[in-house]
Amino acid sequence: MINMKNIAAIASCSLTTMAVTMTVTMGANAAVLPLNQTNSEWFKSSALNVTEKTQQENKEKAKNVILFVGDGMGVSTLTAARIFQGQQVQGNEGGEENFLSFEQFAHTALVKTYNTNQQTPDSAGTMTAIATGVKSKAGVLSVSDTSLRSNCLSSKGNELITLVDLANAKGLSTGVVSTARITHATPAATYSNTPERNWEADSNLPADAVTNECKDIAYQLVMRDEANALSVALGGGRRNFIPDTVTDGEHKKGRRSDGADLTKNWTDNLSNAAYVWDKTGFDAIDTASTDHLLGLFNSSHMEYEADRLDDTAGEPSLTEMTTKSIDILKKNKRGYLLIVESGRIDHAHHAGNAHRALMDTVELSNAVQAAVDSTDPDDTLIMVTADHSHVFTIAGYPKRGNPILGLVHNVDGNVATADDGKPYTTLGYTNGPGAVIGQRDDLTSVDTQEKGFMQQALVPMGSETHAGEDISLHATGPGSHLVQGVIEQNVIFHIINQAQSLGGTKY
Amino acid sequence: MNKKLLVLSMAATLGLAACGDGDNGTNGDNGADGDNGTDGKDWTAVNEWYIDGQRRVTKAADISVNNDAGAAKNVILFVGDGMGISTVTAARILEGQLKGQTGEENSLSFETLPHLGLAKTYNVDGQTPDSAGTMTAMVTGVKTDVGVLSQAEGVTRGNCASTSGQNLVTSLELAAMAGLSTGVVSTARITHATPAATFAHVPERNWESDADLPAEAVTNGCKDIASQLLDFSYGSGINVVMGGGRRAFIPNTVIDAEGKNGKRLDGRNLTDEWTAKYANSTYVEDRDGFLAIDPATTDHALGLFNSSHMEYDFDRTVDGVEGEPSLAEMTAKTIDILKKNDKGFVLIIEAGRIDHAHHAGNAARALYDTIALSEAVRVAMEKTSSKDTLLVVTADHSHVFTIAGYPTRGNPILGLVKGNDASGLPGVTNSTDSNGLPYTTVGYTNGRGYANLSTGGDERYGYPIEAGRVDLNYVDTQSAGFHQEALIPLSSETHAGEDVGIFASGPGSHLIQGTVEQNHIFHVINHAANLVVKAEAAQ
Repeated sequence: MINMKNIAAIASCSLTTMAVTMTVTMGANAAVLPLNQTNSEWFKSSALNVTEKTQQENKEKAKNVILFVGDGMGVSTLTAARIFQGQQVQGNEGGEENFLSFEQFAHTALVKTYNTNQQTPDSAGTMTAIATGVKSKAGVLSVSDTSLRSNCLSSKGNELITLVDLANAKGLSTGVVSTARITHATPAATYSNTPERNWEADSNLPADAVTNECKDIAYQLVMRDEANALSVALGGGRRNFIPDTVTDGEHKKGRRSDGADLTKNWTDNLSNAAYVWDKTGFDAIDTASTDHLLGLFNSSHMEYEADRLDDTAGEPSLTEMTTKSIDILKKNKRGYLLIVESGRIDHAHHAGNAHRALMDTVELSNAVQAAVDSTDPDDTLIMVTADHSHVFTIAGYPKRGNPILGLVHNVDGNVATADDGKPYTTLGYTNGPGAVIGQRDDLTSVDTQEKGFMQQALVPMGSETHAGEDISLHATGPGSHLVQGVIEQNVIFHIINQAQSLGGTKY
Repeated sequence: MNKKLLVLSMAATLGLAACGDGDNGTNGDNGADGDNGTDGKDWTAVNEWYIDGQRRVTKAADISVNNDAGAAKNVILFVGDGMGISTVTAARILEGQLKGQTGEENSLSFETLPHLGLAKTYNVDGQTPDSAGTMTAMVTGVKTDVGVLSQAEGVTRGNCASTSGQNLVTSLELAAMAGLSTGVVSTARITHATPAATFAHVPERNWESDADLPAEAVTNGCKDIASQLLDFSYGSGINVVMGGGRRAFIPNTVIDAEGKNGKRLDGRNLTDEWTAKYANSTYVEDRDGFLAIDPATTDHALGLFNSSHMEYDFDRTVDGVEGEPSLAEMTAKTIDILKKNDKGFVLIIEAGRIDHAHHAGNAARALYDTIALSEAVRVAMEKTSSKDTLLVVTADHSHVFTIAGYPTRGNPILGLVKGNDASGLPGVTNSTDSNGLPYTTVGYTNGRGYANLSTGGDERYGYPIEAGRVDLNYVDTQSAGFHQEALIPLSSETHAGEDVGIFASGPGSHLIQGTVEQNHIFHVINHAANLVVKAEAAQ
């Protein structure tokens, strides 16, 4: 019914004050409120929560910043993932009472996600806003709205400075982690400037891009001066770093047509550098002696968390990549900036597959908890957000504790049936590959909780779409009190800039 | 890139130096950076996104809120029934587009309030909740079962005998006990779940008049919701009650001015009882009567403007000769009456029909009612001070309402999706699905489905349920008579289970933050206005 663990933690933080406050409050309550009200766990836990919030102290300056982005992780995805995780806890009271790790952070905002040219955005324009403080067009990475998409010449002179650039200029260490290709839109916006998110390898560049000297995204990741280099880059997308003549350890061909092996450039150009491509190599990395780590664990995206253990060569989890990154970055006394994307929540939704989207969201929650556990709350600002939402809904009137991936059962326990006489799932999509053509399938004897189940959808599309409503931002640590109200997405940059004194402005 | 970085690192140095100066940049003026951007492309100085973003952070850093117990003299709680986050975004865009803008950059009034929390809405026995259980949480600090009003989860829904010892005291009752003035306003029937939870204690939200009580309830002494409004015995009673639901207050033998029968079987006319019970009281039932109320001389006002729910805001202006006040007008008048009390007031206002329009699958009316709520909040913001008034705006639950596709910036929010071309410029033709058919930006995963009616809204219930896709070429999807398509055929589109937003300003508003259980809202209000302590002191 309540999160006792959380309450216990709160109480132990400020036991004396709390005890006094509670005594006073409860004493006063007795006269006007009935005992069934004041003794209710609902009442007590929320009263305590309010008291705790009155005692918060704001800290201004963050030595370290860790920004987590759940790609496509809208508010409905958070609620469903929270219930999904809660229902796997022994002795749960339904699952709804659960909190994902970052849902316990003190500060929240709602974030307006639209791109300058698009009502419902894409990940390139949204991450550009987060990484540069400036909104831009869909499809472009850290170049301003003045640029046309896919037009190299128009992007010249419109490149934007990113958080990674600023942090490096200040002498901080920087890291980028993703479960998607590390050259995919969200991670790429942090270190590259290009008018086209799809220019991941040189073979993706059209002739005019080559003529006008636009560089591919993988090249921009690796070929940075040591002073401005990433200390950690972990994710998928190996194919964009190796020649098309080379077959990798998982039997996939590279995509570079310029013959370059950028993994070699990484280890050649940077000090104390290492390149790993499987879990064994990753586990063997000694963080004490490694200052520059490139890990590319899949030819394309890394596996969904639901499938990770089936990977050919083995992959680290998002949690493992997060903690290893922190171990390397924290060696810098001046601090660090780490940006971690859970990239495949989005992909699972696009595939109309709620199960995988929720499992990846839970793994993001685990990674955030690991970050909380391995940092000091007095010097590290941790923020968790999404870039955009999906058309993913939690429908009907399921009873408390109804399996979140199951068919709707009403409060009386009976399966709910629609006007067509058939049952329906709690989770669903307004569009996508699960679209119903003609009659809806009868799901009575279908295991809708199975990993591969694709939810029904209304509008038939090869790929389910993003959604345009606001997403949430959760924050803890120094500067987190700046996370307030309803904000434009580019404000996230400015919060980090201010909290970490990155000097992008006169802060 | 290197050249640019050099510029930036210079800026960084300058910036850090400026930091030491202490009070800098409070107005967000970027001009002081001087050397920044000598290459003539200093985006930090010329890009409005950048400047606005910086300004927003400065505003957040400068905000200071009094979180002391009792710092709020007045509390106003607005509830948009069914106003999920997707509804707020879509309404924001519609309002902006009605003003001639692209829309996405617009903010509803309450979106400018400084603090924001997310509320977990589930009921004790329901994963996706109803309005009774959710409003009970907000006004009593305790979650309860679906369908139950301000009684604890120990009751069995619809069973009067189970309610003994289960009553919960509400924030409105505490305020009245403490000597504050109180008001309840809704565009729904005032006996409907959300407003009723503030003053009534019943195990069944549908017991709105005595005619709705089953024999068991009568035998065991449960009272209907309308009569409980009159029986409200705390302090000086409720000062202002405005909304719909006249029928639950007058006998079934009486026909009201709009030609509708009452519902009461017990012969009581509660509107007469209201004026008899209170001094300086009035009862009005149309906009003219409403406008004639003089707040200076009126201490108890009852306004029942419709036999059932009040009209959707979209339809209000054409509601015959009697007419109804807007939610903003009711808000203004109510505040004028309540603010005469030096001890302060607690006012609870529901935009009740956002929910109804969604249930009917009619996005246009849901969004217009959300805009009407925004106007009501704007009135409250103007008529009160954030120094002494805690303002909270939230929803009870969401709906399965989505904003889909990749429409270009400024695409009509009620229109068909039209995307961008390969260069990121607005496309010429509609986006289409796998079958080549266009589709709307806003839609529902369930409900009665597509209809293109002359009026729309509740008219939809007179036409068959029609799930699935239709050819929307040549259909005016922006007309108020248009009802969006739906996937799962249901007699009524359903609520949705994801969190809703809580927007707040004023003393104690800083306690509205993070992801919280919905009953948290009661505790913030109680703390900010010190209701329990004041109520106890007044005993």
